[in-house]
Amino acid sequence: MNGINSMFDRFGVTFQRGDIIFCEFEPGDNFYLIQSGRVQILKIMGDIEKTIDILQPGEIFGEMAILEEAPRSATAIALDEVKALEFNRENFEILMQGNPQIALKLLKLFTKRIYDQKRRFMILTLEDIEARVADVFLMLAEKSPQEEETNKRVFSTTVDDIAHWAGMSPAKCREVLNHFAAQRRIEIYSDRIVVKNINDFARFVSSRRKQRE
Amino acid sequence: MSPKAIRYRANSIIYFKGDVSDKIYILNSGKVSLNYTDIETGQEMHELIKTGEFFGVKSALGRYPREETAVVLADSAVIAFSVPEFEMLVSKNTRIIMKMLKVFSNQLRRIHKQVQNLLYSEEQVNPETGLFKIGEYYMSNKRYHQALYAYRRYLVYYPTGIHAQEATKKIELAEEYLQKYGQGKGPSVKGMVKEAPVQKKKTKEMSNVAQQYYNAVSLIGQQKYEQAYNEFKKIIEQGNDEEYLAKSRYEIGRCLFFMNRFDDCIKSFTELIQRYPTHPDLKEALFFVGKSYQEKGDTTKAKGFYNKILSMVSEEEPLYRKVKRALKSLKEG
Repeated sequence: MNGINSMFDRFGVTFQRGDIIFCEFEPGDNFYLIQSGRVQILKIMGDIEKTIDILQPGEIFGEMAILEEAPRSATAIALDEVKALEFNRENFEILMQGNPQIALKLLKLFTKRIYDQKRRFMILTLEDIEARVADVFLMLAEKSPQEEETNKRVFSTTVDDIAHWAGMSPAKCREVLNHFAAQRRIEIYSDRIVVKNINDFARFVSSRRKQRE
Repeated sequence: MSPKAIRYRANSIIYFKGDVSDKIYILNSGKVSLNYTDIETGQEMHELIKTGEFFGVKSALGRYPREETAVVLADSAVIAFSVPEFEMLVSKNTRIIMKMLKVFSNQLRRIHKQVQNLLYSEEQVNPETGLFKIGEYYMSNKRYHQALYAYRRYLVYYPTGIHAQEATKKIELAEEYLQKYGQGKGPSVKGMVKEAPVQKKKTKEMSNVAQQYYNAVSLIGQQKYEQAYNEFKKIIEQGNDEEYLAKSRYEIGRCLFFMNRFDDCIKSFTELIQRYPTHPDLKEALFFVGKSYQEKGDTTKAKGFYNKILSMVSEEEPLYRKVKRALKSLKEG
């Protein structure tokens, strides 16, 4: 990994503990590969701070900066003293060429992002807002496959998160969820939502998707 | 274990959509087609693989189900790699990865844009206010260091923004507290944020603007769109009354629509929505964007906007019926 050391001289940046590396809503120009230290990725929603991820050395973050005009979708803060390589659209090709491991890592990250965005697109193109909310649950279920042979699924997801994925206001989302609860398809608790039969939602969503075609 | 050469007969299947597998293929000879449904149009797509080209890369690397069925059209020879084998291969040849990175980042860019188009205003917080509010959050939590970062960045991007004055004041305060009390130890600072207050003091001037505005609106009523457009433009250029400024920015978009300048209309309303995410005529603005796309023949986008509006309005609102009608006309057209 000698290459990385010499690269650090040219492209390395150091953040002190507690430093904001970038802020949500800022236009993003750079993305980073952590060399040492941990980075917290978080979102501030009203008066609360929500940790989305804690990243370790070797991980890449801020990679959406490779897309034009995309404001940061979250805030990144250094949890320790953090040393990182800083990339941007202009220098990343040069950097990648000598470093297939980093390039591969980025490649894998892109495949994941593409899949997530496609899945989100599928949700958003559903016309029926109930189907959209149901499809959010299906997506969440796909992300955490369950071994047990049961149709019941428990999600520790907030209404705001579901609203975000479904592309609707939290108020509208709550309305839909209440309707599902009245139909006894889900149970809403303060810290979790229980979907009683995920296959029922799968059938519901696929019937709505067919209608569209 | 090493990469395997495999022969396939015409009309056989290499993998099905929905399969989960860690195999990545390269086509050596023959003819293979990837069949999939386009997520935007719902159309069945067929994509021929060129000789020497990889396929099955994304789903194998990302460990998600295959999104396409790989059909063999003529007797073919392929080489199958496991993910580690693939990594070994490309590590020695960064050019392959670079090429793929380019393809993937373009795909990501495209799908990202498609998603953003669907989301539009409702979901998105105005980045200007969003950034400022992050400063506010840290300020109220006595984390002056982080607050300073957010406020300073705000001033970099929006030196004359609606929160610029407030941000400047808060920076002074945060610096003072950081020195006097230290991070996390001083008072919590909350509020004092006023969002774009309507300035009431210039009563006389305002009534002038109001008059100008209503004159221009009545020009629209008389279908004198060019004239109306010019009048609204004047109001915007004067720019001394926030209320009529916002109203005129909306009306100017309407004028553009009636003047059949659909691209300008879309641009104008897009700017409006970004500038005023809580504009009272927001839904109508979206409707005009949808209609402009319809006029331009981009039915997919038009449909996206109409559906977006339906998720925002209740069935009693007149706009609901208007949008429904527009959607119907899309289907018939």
